[in-house]
Amino acid sequence: MLANALHPPKLAMKNVSKRFGAVQALCGVDLEVARGEIHALVGENGAGKTTLMRILCGLERADTGTVELDGRPVHIPDPEAAHRLGIGMVHQRFKLIPSLTVAENVILGSEPHRRGVLDRRAAYDQVIRLCEEHHLEVDPGARVGDLSIGLQQRVEILRLLYRKAQVLIFDEPTAVLTPQETEQLFEVLRALKEQGATIIYISHKLWEVLQISDRVTVLRRGVVQRALPTSEADAAVLTRLMVGQDVAPVTGEVSLPAPQGEPVLALHDVWATDDRGLPALRGVSLTVAAGEIVGVAGVEGNGQRELAEVLVGTRPLVRGSVTLLKREISRVPTWRRRLMGLGVIPEDRDREGVSLDFSLADNAIATRIRSHPFSRRGFLSRRAATMFCRRLIDEFNVVAPGPGTLARSLSGGNLQKFIAGRELSFRPTVLVAAHPTRGVDVGATRFLHERLLSLRNQGSGILLISGDLDEIFALSDRIAVIFRGSIAGVLNRHEATRDRVGALMLGRRGEDSVA
Amino acid sequence: MKLGAVTRGVFTAFLALVVGAIVLELTGRDAVEVYRLLVEQSLLSPGALADTLLNATPLIFTGVATAIAFRAGVFNVGVEGSMYLGAFAAAWVGFTMTEWPPGLLIPAAFLAAGVIGALWAVLPGVARAYYGVDEVVSTLLLNYVATSFTGYLVSYPFLAPGAANAMSPLIAPGARLTRIAPPSQLNLSFVIALAVAVAAAVLIYRTTAGFALRAAGSNPRFAQSAGIDVRATIVMAMVVSGFIGGLGGAGQILGVNYRFIQGFSPGYGFDGITVALLVRNDPLGAILGALFFGALRNGGATIQLFADIPIDLIHVLQAAIILFVTVEPRVTGWFARWRQRPTKLSGTPLPVRE
Repeated sequence: MLANALHPPKLAMKNVSKRFGAVQALCGVDLEVARGEIHALVGENGAGKTTLMRILCGLERADTGTVELDGRPVHIPDPEAAHRLGIGMVHQRFKLIPSLTVAENVILGSEPHRRGVLDRRAAYDQVIRLCEEHHLEVDPGARVGDLSIGLQQRVEILRLLYRKAQVLIFDEPTAVLTPQETEQLFEVLRALKEQGATIIYISHKLWEVLQISDRVTVLRRGVVQRALPTSEADAAVLTRLMVGQDVAPVTGEVSLPAPQGEPVLALHDVWATDDRGLPALRGVSLTVAAGEIVGVAGVEGNGQRELAEVLVGTRPLVRGSVTLLKREISRVPTWRRRLMGLGVIPEDRDREGVSLDFSLADNAIATRIRSHPFSRRGFLSRRAATMFCRRLIDEFNVVAPGPGTLARSLSGGNLQKFIAGRELSFRPTVLVAAHPTRGVDVGATRFLHERLLSLRNQGSGILLISGDLDEIFALSDRIAVIFRGSIAGVLNRHEATRDRVGALMLGRRGEDSVA
Repeated sequence: MKLGAVTRGVFTAFLALVVGAIVLELTGRDAVEVYRLLVEQSLLSPGALADTLLNATPLIFTGVATAIAFRAGVFNVGVEGSMYLGAFAAAWVGFTMTEWPPGLLIPAAFLAAGVIGALWAVLPGVARAYYGVDEVVSTLLLNYVATSFTGYLVSYPFLAPGAANAMSPLIAPGARLTRIAPPSQLNLSFVIALAVAVAAAVLIYRTTAGFALRAAGSNPRFAQSAGIDVRATIVMAMVVSGFIGGLGGAGQILGVNYRFIQGFSPGYGFDGITVALLVRNDPLGAILGALFFGALRNGGATIQLFADIPIDLIHVLQAAIILFVTVEPRVTGWFARWRQRPTKLSGTPLPVRE
């Protein structure tokens, strides 16, 4: 399995180091990946996974170290060089043009042409052939902006294949995917591997890594802890390598019994449509009491996004009512809901959680610009913003140089910690938390869970929307299962089992589910 | 951040001047000599300097007005229209309320100009915010309405007695702004323009309304979810933009022309777009941007007379600036990578700090 002189590995990075200012991001890192292998690169936020891959893609330059492809040293000064060498990356934030079609996006940058004129027909044919070859179903004529995230990701993959990439890097590809889309992605990855592609898979979802990869390299604080075949790894081993200590997985111990206070949030027969105008919520009724966490479990795409948006006030109701602290709010604007004590950890952190071009300080106060101490008589207090932002960075362990940093320069997990921290800091009376720990490492997840529980123990009501059943079970007093836009069932914590919840998620009644 | 905007503006302007030089050389002229003349004729004597400030004044108003709208993500190209209507309103106050003392007349004229300019921007603002009507189209078209309507007003109902061309009566002497550096027409409206730029900067960077404006421009979805009324903010940005555009019109009438003349603006509103783009929509930067164009216009006019260089050179520079602003992200990307190039190619990595 391991390479020797006759069969050099497809890719070898040797003794790679990189410093950013005071931070040693990578320190003498070695990485070997064989041809036709799915190689997982795991580590907590800030362990250096992304930096290592950016070096491989020519987006960063290493301070020291070499890269070899098929045993030959190569020089990768810029992304163009990486492309020529057949190295390509599917980024967390897709680099597609929404207004162009799938085919146009795929060929962009290396368009087929006849005497300088774009050969549209050839382009479509080539893209269709590519789709068929790799069993990637996607309509080449569709506008990319209209596609789901999962399909957009396919377009990114097609783009790489079109450019004849042999080494494909996936940077936390499932962070934005639904469970079904994840399954489909795995099928695609396996098919690519069969065809001889070399795949580097960055993730910190251990079960995914265990399921899909052949070998694993674990990074911690810029240093390789170990590289091992996946068959010799399990979740405990990987966790220990990642965090450097034995961590008990977050267990479902709710520390206090639910006090069952007054209902603080109530939905009654709520109907709403999705972006395409199709019904997404069909008569949702649900209450959250003070001092209670209600988990909304469900396969993604069953109305969770619309549910959160209806509560925030960015999506209109078609019918029904929403009551926040005994007040009907379905026509109340978002800013007033926030003043009433509503906090929101949104699902799409880049687009709804922050403004990427704003400093962290500005992002920290964005939801409270009209409140003390951030403004007085219409004027902002920069000092208050800076101080609050510093505290946020410290308390929630956000890896960032300071309040003046642009949100854009933070990694996804750090941004998530920042947003969750901001919303928790204001001690909302009602918190709508959509996937609060998505993309966040094990240690930070545990910390955020503790904070959510302590908010609940202080008497706030929390609606927790999550695709992660472990999270739902770890935190919820009651579990509501959403299926095709309605609540298929609400279970008390003690009566909820994975089987019952799982059955409800698939639209089956709880009773006849034991399978 | 603000400093960054200015540095980038200077860099862009420099690139544009290089393009201008190439064009000059290609047309068989001595670029160095032309630029030397430009500098001499726009900066190097008190009179020339005063005229540069005079030329910059309306551009400060329109540049700031445009920058505020752009900051909110509204592509308002209708500052020209607000300026025309504001100018007429100021003139009307000036030739109608002739009995008022200057201390009342001048503020009243500016206020009327601002309010009319703001009202003019409400329609496209509301149409954009609440009905999704493209503001570029609506404001651009409304410019024609504004220029033609004011042209009609001074051609018929308010035509100055005895005048052959379309112009209003002269405003009362008490409505005229003090000239700062005679014989130049440079007047107090320059100082007012500076004050407006500073006020706009305070609005944008230091107030909650300005925060909402920037948030709506930089990420409307986040702004909405954070609890900012994005639609109202868009309308507010248009209103402020139109208000400042109107003030600019008043400044020209009360400080330079002393009456409304049809076609008094050679496109200040549009030059304001270039100014705003050049300084990345920073109000204080807009002062520098306006001075740059003011110098070009002033020096350009003189060298057209003396050196037979068509003033179209300025349009070349403007076009180059818009081009460079558009491609800038790419260019700065190269620049950043060039600066990041590894300086040390070997050496042992430092140990990780625990």
